[in-house]
Order: sequence, then structure tokens, then C-alpha cells
Amino acid sequence: MSISQISVFVESKPGHLGNVLEGFESANLSVRGFSAADTGGYGIVRFVVDKPEEALAHLRERGFAVRLTKVLCVKLHDKPGELASVLRVMAQAQVNVVYCYSLVSTYIVLAVNDIARAEKALADTSLELIDDDEIAALPVRQAL
Amino acid sequence: MGTPMPSCEHIDFSKLPIYKPDVECTSRERIRAIQLAKLIDQVGYTYDRVAWYRDQMDEMHVKPSDIKTLDDVRKLPFTDKSALRLTFPFGMFATPLDEIVEMHASSGTTGKPIVVGYTKEDMDVWSECIARLAQMAGVTAGDRVQMAFGYGMFTGGFGLHYGILRIGGMMIPAGSGNTERHIQMIEDYGTTVLIATPSYAMHICEVGEKLGFDWAASTLQIGLFGGEPCPPGLKAEIEARMHITCTDNYGLTEVMGPGVSGECLAHRDQQHIAEDHFLWEVVDPQTGEPVAEGEMGELVLTPLDKRGIPVLRYRTHDLTRVTTEPCECGRTLVRMDKVRSRSDDMLIIRGTNIFPSQVEDVIANIPSLSPQYRMIVDNDEGLDRLTIEVEIHPDVFSDSFEDMNQFTHDVTAKLQSVLLLRPVVKLLEPGSIERTLGKAKHVDDRRRG
Repeated sequence: MSISQISVFVESKPGHLGNVLEGFESANLSVRGFSAADTGGYGIVRFVVDKPEEALAHLRERGFAVRLTKVLCVKLHDKPGELASVLRVMAQAQVNVVYCYSLVSTYIVLAVNDIARAEKALADTSLELIDDDEIAALPVRQAL
Repeated sequence: MGTPMPSCEHIDFSKLPIYKPDVECTSRERIRAIQLAKLIDQVGYTYDRVAWYRDQMDEMHVKPSDIKTLDDVRKLPFTDKSALRLTFPFGMFATPLDEIVEMHASSGTTGKPIVVGYTKEDMDVWSECIARLAQMAGVTAGDRVQMAFGYGMFTGGFGLHYGILRIGGMMIPAGSGNTERHIQMIEDYGTTVLIATPSYAMHICEVGEKLGFDWAASTLQIGLFGGEPCPPGLKAEIEARMHITCTDNYGLTEVMGPGVSGECLAHRDQQHIAEDHFLWEVVDPQTGEPVAEGEMGELVLTPLDKRGIPVLRYRTHDLTRVTTEPCECGRTLVRMDKVRSRSDDMLIIRGTNIFPSQVEDVIANIPSLSPQYRMIVDNDEGLDRLTIEVEIHPDVFSDSFEDMNQFTHDVTAKLQSVLLLRPVVKLLEPGSIERTLGKAKHVDDRRRG
């Protein structure tokens, strides 16, 4: 079980990341999580949105270099040791986590080098994977 | 014209021996007479042996016997890089290959390099021209001369090397790169003369300073610069910081290599042309008509004794002006101003000729890039640096940095193999580069000095 993540090629210049977000805004899309790091002249910025196929089409139309990638989305419980636990499962299964980041609430994205192997390893645990439909349906509580 | 300056601290030019005074200090009439006799011979030689010129001249209804005065050179066709490219590799050679003793090449605008070949006599003329300008710069038989140009297909390395041997100097053939090693060698071997591009000399200076090397106390006395023009500000700075006297020399592969002209120490930033070996013209780049003496124009050169690969009226695309006023150094050979600009779009980066069209061709052959590009040249960190910005095609975009880095690496390698220089490649978003109607400005040259 995986989710569809949007990756966009973005030059590291003021306003360029904003252009992508404006694209989402104009299509009334919701961002559930994102990741952007300092990788030099450009970055591969990753987004989890409520309607990935729509986001892909919308950004493509606007001339962005954009891709959909399958990644794992794990629902963690808010208690110490949860994150450590999922990473332990990956390590024991000899699965490499290529990158990861957190979404709203206690959801995290894991991009792994072997999705099938990772899914199998997680199946034997109480850790919960979610799919695109659940991402779309996520109710988000406002921070107090 | 030119600024007479007091003689350089270290070297009193009035005491320097002149290599070939019977030519270098003779009357203008005699120089012109030498040129005319050689020109008549050279045109006949070229017509008889090089089909390309014979065809051109026949088409123009010009025979070698029509050349009776120096002005008649204007009856002859111009030659451009394209002729050498079209006849690659040996189509313009006048002698059979077994009479060619050495070959050199330089970058063409696209694809094939420009190939030149030298007979034994050509090599002799070349060495003599270098010997003259080295002596003009103060180099003597007692000097230890360190080469910081690359040896190889470019004419700079071997050309200067042989000329220094002609004077009797000792060559230290270090070659290019490994700056710290160069500095160590200067210290270990007591180098007195450095042959380099001015920007590389500055780099050696700065690296030395960072290492605590004392240039004032070093054995280095003279810098012989070539490969690219040296801006006056840069020359003054190198001289002050390295405690040496620097001169420029000029030339181009297509007519011989370095040695066409060299700077004496009486007038800085002007160079005496070896007129007994090169007939010069300064023309309007648009019309090809000669300009008045002292006016800027494009330098056109006709080598007068070339046997291996003669060229007639070669268009250098270098802009300059000349003066035939005698020089305080005693030489009567014409002086040309240092070349500061060109009539085409060629760039010289780290002494290497680069044409935007070369970049254009590489990019056109990479489908994952749009045909748009931008070239930025700067020297913020001392040495010339070329950055090439390209736009990715959405299809090549991958969610993996490793893949994107590999792609950048591959594009860089393709460009490097054509440019013979390693550029920094920057990937841009699709549509990033402004499209213009009319002629695009591909190059942003931000170099200081």
C-alpha cells in the first residue's frame, strides 16, 4: 500500500517555490505535507496533496518539470519510540530509507529503495500504512 | 599612440640586444621591399600547390602575376576559419605530408578542429619569431624558463619552447596545472622566466601568497604572456605582486601560432609585428576595405614564408590599430595595439578559444534539454570560470538526486570534450531562459580587469 507523491524540479531562487504553491492554490488543492532541502542550485521539492493526479496535470500544464512517485505513508501514534520503531523495522529488513519527511499530524512519508520488501516487513507489525484515499479524506485539526 | 613609460624597474630596454637588427631596425622602405618580394613568391607558391586557393583565384580572375605591389594583395581572396574546416584535415597543405615535421590544432567553431602543419623551414621561422619577442622581453641565454602552458596540440606550449631553445635559454617543461608544483619548481630550480596565460600567472601569484611564498625574494624576473590578451590593470597588478616584468605576445594557430607580434619594453600594450614574416592589413570588418593608419579595424594576416600550410589574407576577427612610427626601443617594425575585442563572438577562457556555437551544437544533440542556453563567464575566484545554464525537458526530471546529478555530470562531460575546458553546468526549470525575438544574447561576460 503506497501513496502518490508529487516531486517538482524547483530552482533555488526567491519566488520559485511560491510559484508551485500558487499552482496548487489555483486548483484548490490541499497540501498534507512537503519537503524542501538545500541541495544547491535546484531542489527536488516533494509534496503530498489531497488530489495527486489533478496536481500532476495542473503543474504539467503550467510548464513545471513534475513527476508522481510511489512512496510509503505510515501512520504513527503519538508516543515516544514510534519513529524509532518504524526505522528499526526497515533496518532489520535491510531496506534503505532514501528520504523521509513528516506530514500533518503523525503521518510520515518513507521513500524506500524496495517498496515491496518494506511493505512485507511492516505487515508483521502494528504500524499502519495508509493510501491515497485516506490522504484525501484526512480531517486536519487546527493547531491551538 | 601608446603611452611611453619609463623603462621597467628591472630591465633597461635600451641595453637589450635586438635579435635581428638588420631587419628589426631597418627602414620602412626596406621592410616593404622584403614583404613585396616574399609576397610575390608566396602567392605563386600557394597558387601552384593549393587547389582551394587556385580555384578561388581562378574564379576571381586573379593570377599570381597580377601581384606587383603590396596594395595588390587586395586582389586576393580573404580566408576564414571555414576554409580550414571545410578542407579538414590536410586539404590546404601545400607539401606532401612527409615534409611536414610537426602538426598542431586549435578549436574550430564547431565540430572539427583547425589543423596546421609545419615544414622544417616553417619551424625555423617560428622559432626565430619567438626568439625575437623573447629577447625583446629581456630573456637571455642564461634564463631558466618554466612553461605553464599545456604542451599538446595547442601551438602555445611547443611554440614558445622551441623559441626559447633558439635563444639558448633552459626550458623547464612543467606544462599546465598543479599550481603548487609550479611554485615549488620556481623555488627549487631558480626559475627566472614564467610562460603562462595572464590569468594563470595571477592564479600562481595568489596561491603563492597564500602559501607564504615570498615573490619579492624569488628568482622570477620575467613573465611571457600569451593565449589571451592581458588587460593593463591585470598586468600592473601581476608585476607589482610578483615583482616581475611582463610582456604580451600575440599570434594565432592558423597563421603560425604565437610569434606574430611581441611587446617591447619601451611601449607597453603595443606589440611589434614580425613584418618580414607577416604582411598585415587592418580592414573594416563589414566591407573588407583598408582603414587609415591609426584607425581601429580587423587584423588580416598573410604569412610570407609558410611552406606547409600557406594562408592568404587570413581574417583574424581581432580588432586593433597600428602605427609605423619608430619606437624608442630602436625597432622600426610596425606596432599593433593589444587586442581587446573581436569582431565575432569568440571568447577566450583560460587561454582556450570558445565559440557559443560549440555549446549550441552540444545542447542541440541532447534531447532532454531545451535548445536554450546561457553562458556566464566570471573570474570572481581568480581564474576564468565558465558556467553554462541549460533548461531541462520535463521528461528527464527524476525523483532521484543521484539520477539528476548523473545527468548533470553527463552533460558536463559532453561539453568538456568539445570545449576542452570544464564548465560548471547549472540545470534550470523549463522555460527559465528568456526567449527573445531577434538575436539572442547568449553570453554574459562578467570578468573584471
